[in-house]
Amino acid sequence: MSFLLNCPNCGERGVSEFRFGGEVVSRPSPGAPEREWTSYFHFRPNVAGVQHEWWNHRYGCRRWFQALRDSTNNVIQTTFWPGERPSG
Amino acid sequence: MPGSNSPRDSRIEARPGEAIDRSSPVVFGFDGDSVAGFEGDTIASALYARGTRVFSRSFKYHRPRGLLCCSGNCPNCLVTVGDEPNVRACVRSIEPGLEVKSQNAWPSLRFDVGSILDRMHWLMPVGFYYKALHRPKALWLLARKLVRRVGGLGSIDINATHSEEFSSRNIHGDVAVVGGGPAGMSAAQAAAEAGLTVVLIDDQSALGGHLRYIGQVAANTGASERPAHELAAEMAEGVAGNSNIEPILGATVFGLYQDNLLAILTSDGLVRLRARHVVLATGSQETPLLFENNDLPGIMLSSAARRLIHLYGVLPGREAVIATETIEGYEAALDLMEAGVRIAAVVDSSNSTQGEAADAVRERGIRVLSGHRVVRAYGKGKVKAIAVASTDGSSGITRIRCDLLCMSGLPQPMDALLHQMGASQPGVSLAGGVAGAATLEETLAQGRAAGGEAAGPSAPSINDHSPRNNRPALAPAVPAGGNARTYVCFCEDVSAHDIEQAIDEGFADVQTLKRYTTVTMGPCQGKMCGAALAGICAAHAGSDAAAAADTHTTFRPPYQPVPLAVLAGRERMPMKRTSLDRIHRDLGARMVESGPWLRPHSYGPPADECAAVRERVGVIDVGTLGKLEVVGADAPKLLDRLYTHSFSDLRVGRIRYGLMTSDNGVIMDDGTVTRLAEDRYFVTTTSGNADVIEEWFNWWNAGAGNCAHVVNVTAAYGAVNVAGPRARETLVKLTDIDLSPNRFRYMGSAQGEVAGVPCLLLRIGFVGEAGWEVHFPAEYGEYMWHAVMDAGSEFGISPFGLEAQRILRLEKGHVIVGQDTDAVSTPMDVGSDWAVRFDKEDFIGRGGLSVAAYRGLQQRLVGFVLLHAAAPEDGTPVVSGGQPIGRVTSARISPTLGVGFGLAWVPPSFAVEGATIQVLLGERPVDAKVTLDPVYDPDGLRLRS
Repeated sequence: MSFLLNCPNCGERGVSEFRFGGEVVSRPSPGAPEREWTSYFHFRPNVAGVQHEWWNHRYGCRRWFQALRDSTNNVIQTTFWPGERPSG
Repeated sequence: MPGSNSPRDSRIEARPGEAIDRSSPVVFGFDGDSVAGFEGDTIASALYARGTRVFSRSFKYHRPRGLLCCSGNCPNCLVTVGDEPNVRACVRSIEPGLEVKSQNAWPSLRFDVGSILDRMHWLMPVGFYYKALHRPKALWLLARKLVRRVGGLGSIDINATHSEEFSSRNIHGDVAVVGGGPAGMSAAQAAAEAGLTVVLIDDQSALGGHLRYIGQVAANTGASERPAHELAAEMAEGVAGNSNIEPILGATVFGLYQDNLLAILTSDGLVRLRARHVVLATGSQETPLLFENNDLPGIMLSSAARRLIHLYGVLPGREAVIATETIEGYEAALDLMEAGVRIAAVVDSSNSTQGEAADAVRERGIRVLSGHRVVRAYGKGKVKAIAVASTDGSSGITRIRCDLLCMSGLPQPMDALLHQMGASQPGVSLAGGVAGAATLEETLAQGRAAGGEAAGPSAPSINDHSPRNNRPALAPAVPAGGNARTYVCFCEDVSAHDIEQAIDEGFADVQTLKRYTTVTMGPCQGKMCGAALAGICAAHAGSDAAAAADTHTTFRPPYQPVPLAVLAGRERMPMKRTSLDRIHRDLGARMVESGPWLRPHSYGPPADECAAVRERVGVIDVGTLGKLEVVGADAPKLLDRLYTHSFSDLRVGRIRYGLMTSDNGVIMDDGTVTRLAEDRYFVTTTSGNADVIEEWFNWWNAGAGNCAHVVNVTAAYGAVNVAGPRARETLVKLTDIDLSPNRFRYMGSAQGEVAGVPCLLLRIGFVGEAGWEVHFPAEYGEYMWHAVMDAGSEFGISPFGLEAQRILRLEKGHVIVGQDTDAVSTPMDVGSDWAVRFDKEDFIGRGGLSVAAYRGLQQRLVGFVLLHAAAPEDGTPVVSGGQPIGRVTSARISPTLGVGFGLAWVPPSFAVEGATIQVLLGERPVDAKVTLDPVYDPDGLRLRS
């Protein structure tokens, strides 16, 4: 793995500076059924294709951001702050 | 004496441009002989000069092998240097006193007992180990021993101590140019002139590429010829004079990774280069021709012979035959002739080779056999003669005497790096031989164009410069009916016959052939055999030769063998040390690694340190605690969300134990949370967990729209815990803060000066005594320590280390996250239900804990007490009726009780006060009583005193 990620704060850096935070998933509401919670704990779509992910610039600004990454070739489409996902 | 040959024996007259310095003799050892060479010689050139022709014995059949490529691309000259096996003799420079040993031969290179295997090759057909040695089963066990003894290349000296360490460094550049020949140098210059920073990497000791060893060259069409090395030197001077270019010589780019990360093997370690643009100017490489006994010493690539002449002033042979498929063979013939080699014949497989060199060769009366190819070589340990036949079979066999056969097969682009990337890679250009450039003029133009592309506004796609567009169909002509001694793969002794047989067995494409025959799997990784393999595959399978040229086995890094020590690099685990580190060492503390920290284990007997804390006063460095400040109007909201407990209702100045779980309810961390102000909290985490917890806080805070900020102040504050019945008397001497039991109560905090230093005091009790955690700016560390020690000396103060703290906290039944808990432990499991507030709206872990509560308790962490003074090791099983039912997480001998005790996981049915369990002491199960209360001060009277 040697791809570059564009940290929204620091700019383009090698992936070894970052911590991967997994897929962005929505958290069930407190009263959600048990099935919904267990599926949230244990299951992820894990798509072969573009995936919405968390990343942390651990050895840089230490901030969390999100990325759209193609899991088949590690091409990063875009990176952005949480809640600022570009439309389209 | 065998080693007394003068290095001048087969040296020719000094010529300009040579790499050796004849005024500096160098003497080194080879297999017990003393060998003389010159500064600038490689091990191979020095040995060749004194007459050595056999450099190694082959992998499987122990056939004698000599120099083949002379450029570090084949396995034929692997030697052991000192205790380093598998060194390529043709690229390693000689140094005085170097001890070089030959490999894979016993007792000697010339008389190798193992060569008997060569006569038994019929016993070992391709893939024999898949077919034979299966029955009876014991046969394989016997054979395995033998195979392991004879297999492998070189041997590792397991007693060798390696003092050398390899570093690794990261560098950046606008452009990386791989290959320092004319294409690479002109690309580097063009990019540098455009203002870009360039890193130029070449695996030889000097820039120039093939210009260093080809004699004469015409730089422009129509221009008169001039010495090639002069042009090389001129270009190298231009590179050296350009401050934008950083050359890295004697280094191999062994991997090209995504987004243009290059892995470079240098003499002192690994370099990772990240470049915006990459120019591959790696050139092309002749490959060996296929005929019987094509592996005899004295048969080499024509470029190898020319390297010997021009770089090292060594005459490669007296009487040579050139076997060629291109005009380059004629050029080599002229070059060798000029150096004093008699050319017995040029054997050209083509009938139509045109060019000035071909005309010149004919003019000089050299015998040219067009439309002919070499079918066999004769000789024992050294080529003596060859047999030549016409390619169309129209004439008989001609025998020609020679002591050197130069092979000049169709040049193959050295494009492994390109193929490592698989799909197209943006920002990579090709130039020169690798892109199929045929003339020097074309090479230079391609280099300039590639350098210009690097400076261009948009990076071109590699596909525009695919070698396929430029180069001719390259699959070599392969005669059918492969001979068992026609070697395709020199690394693994795979013959054309082996490959044809494997194809007949159904392994008809290069990928399965590789796996079945091991062809391309050796040290050269297909550099010598890839093209021939594709050719045979095409010819035998009847497919189109041009298509076969594009079939190859998958290219993967590393391109060259890389020592594991280089990849491992230097040991770089920097330990964190607290601001009191020097004091601990001055006190002679035994230091231990604890997560990322180096901490005092103990200063003397841990039992004495425990006694000091229980009876008098002790002080421990707790600067390793993770420390976070959480600030902002929404700080209470954030903490309520992250901890199972509630912190919005915590009064200012008070402290509450905080337990943090992941969302599925597993304990992640614990610590204390102190409310310093309405909107400001001071949070401690377990030692070593600060960075992870900071990330965790920020993760849940990210995008939540909170007015809450998390600041990691771990390194900013030092801290000591002063604990024991006389802790109050000690601290009172240093501060005006009211420490009296009613004013400064357990789980309270205060800010104020201690010994004149602004401090935060937290009254908590991990070790179970009245005590204060004193946090102070880290730079006051040593001063604070001495102030506390001086104040406490009249009360018998003693420092205590990690081990004493572990015993003391265990007596209080305090859990250490990660030691006593694991990846499934919930707060309920460890009896911390009281710290979970299900009446909160939501918190991280709520869902998981609800599920866990629904499922019911599966296991429980309990205390246990043995009947005598012995402690099981941490991790030993808890047993019942001979069956394991749990495990001990921490156990020590209690200084208070004088017996063994600890914490253990047991099934819920055993989690009853007074229940009997058994733990293993060594092999022996011994009884223990379960206790749910702390064994020391169960009511916390001393803690609150």
